[in-house]
Amino acid sequence: MAYPFQLGFQDASSPIMEELLHFHDHTLMIVFLISSLVLYIISLMLTTKLTHTSTMDAQEVETIWTILPAIILIMIALPSLRILYMMDEINNPSLTVKTMGHQWYWSYEYTDYEDLSFDSYMIPTSDLNPGDLRLLEVDNRVVLPMELPIRMLISSEDVLHSWAVPSLGLKTDAIPGRLNQATLISTRPGLFYGQCSEICGWNHSFMPIVLEMVPLKHFESWSLSMI
Amino acid sequence: MLSRAAWSFVLRTGGLGARGTHSPGDAARSEGRMPPYTNCYAQRSYPMPDEPFCTELTAEQRALKEKEKGSWTQLSPAEKVALYRLQYRESFAEMNRRSNEWKTVMGSVFFFFGFTALLIWWQRVYVFPEKPITLTDEWKARQLQRVLDMKGNPVQGLAARWDYEKKQWKK
Repeated sequence: MAYPFQLGFQDASSPIMEELLHFHDHTLMIVFLISSLVLYIISLMLTTKLTHTSTMDAQEVETIWTILPAIILIMIALPSLRILYMMDEINNPSLTVKTMGHQWYWSYEYTDYEDLSFDSYMIPTSDLNPGDLRLLEVDNRVVLPMELPIRMLISSEDVLHSWAVPSLGLKTDAIPGRLNQATLISTRPGLFYGQCSEICGWNHSFMPIVLEMVPLKHFESWSLSMI
Repeated sequence: MLSRAAWSFVLRTGGLGARGTHSPGDAARSEGRMPPYTNCYAQRSYPMPDEPFCTELTAEQRALKEKEKGSWTQLSPAEKVALYRLQYRESFAEMNRRSNEWKTVMGSVFFFFGFTALLIWWQRVYVFPEKPITLTDEWKARQLQRVLDMKGNPVQGLAARWDYEKKQWKK
């Protein structure tokens, strides 16, 4: 989850998120370089008494500042597309979980073996236990086995929502009438928080997602206890 | 050929090229010119307008203009200054003089900062609701302990900065 005075992304808990972190570093460096160059040139322009008002010819520099940005954009696009295709790789999921967005809660269905389904509402601030995270805790967490690829099928029962868990690099829109698929894999056990990421009405900010990644044995005993 | 004709229509230099845009021309060619800069003060980026400052001359000034057509070494410094003043409204020194505008600007900026601060203060007192219980020191301490216990962000984030052996922040 996010922590105070955080500057960057949350630590990655999945391989895709690690790739995204590196890609972001690469792209942000390019952005910083370009911005500092532009700021420097602006400061030069603003602090000179020289003027030049007649029409000028500038073929050489115009060619450079057309070709060079094209090259920079290609250098950004290629890693981006690599990660995009990596997200869609075939990975043989061990489990399929369906999540439906409602106004204003998520419901989860584990129907591979038995029929297990439950709703996940946010815990109101007045009902929190001391030390809980405000606006992030839910009554029924999504318990999942760690280190296994899991297929998430995401849809909605009413309006648009979006199922997002930043530390796993996941954000998938929940669209009524459509099934969207995302692959979830966590390298670590623990609690991973996320929030609804598509405006869906009055309580859009108050329908969080909490994943509890546990070892497979714990997952099995939990799902037995929930049926 | 066609592109040159089209380009000259846009630039309106009357065949003089880049320099023709701003240089003074003789009356015979001035139909194709851009209109001169007469009704603004001279600027550092456009210091020499085509039209002179004083267009209606007294008899004395007309005599001086006649004298100007001769050799300039015959002109006294006072006459040169007078001719300059006929042609131009301000000298370079006058045109480029500093002003006290920055004091007005900065004063207004700081005033509005202060005014905004007053508005925000009023808002805090009369509009904002109570802070939630989760912002008390006790709750924040328990929250932090809980996040450290579950090793949230253990790679580079919060739990990575906590030394679990010595139970303190890493130095």
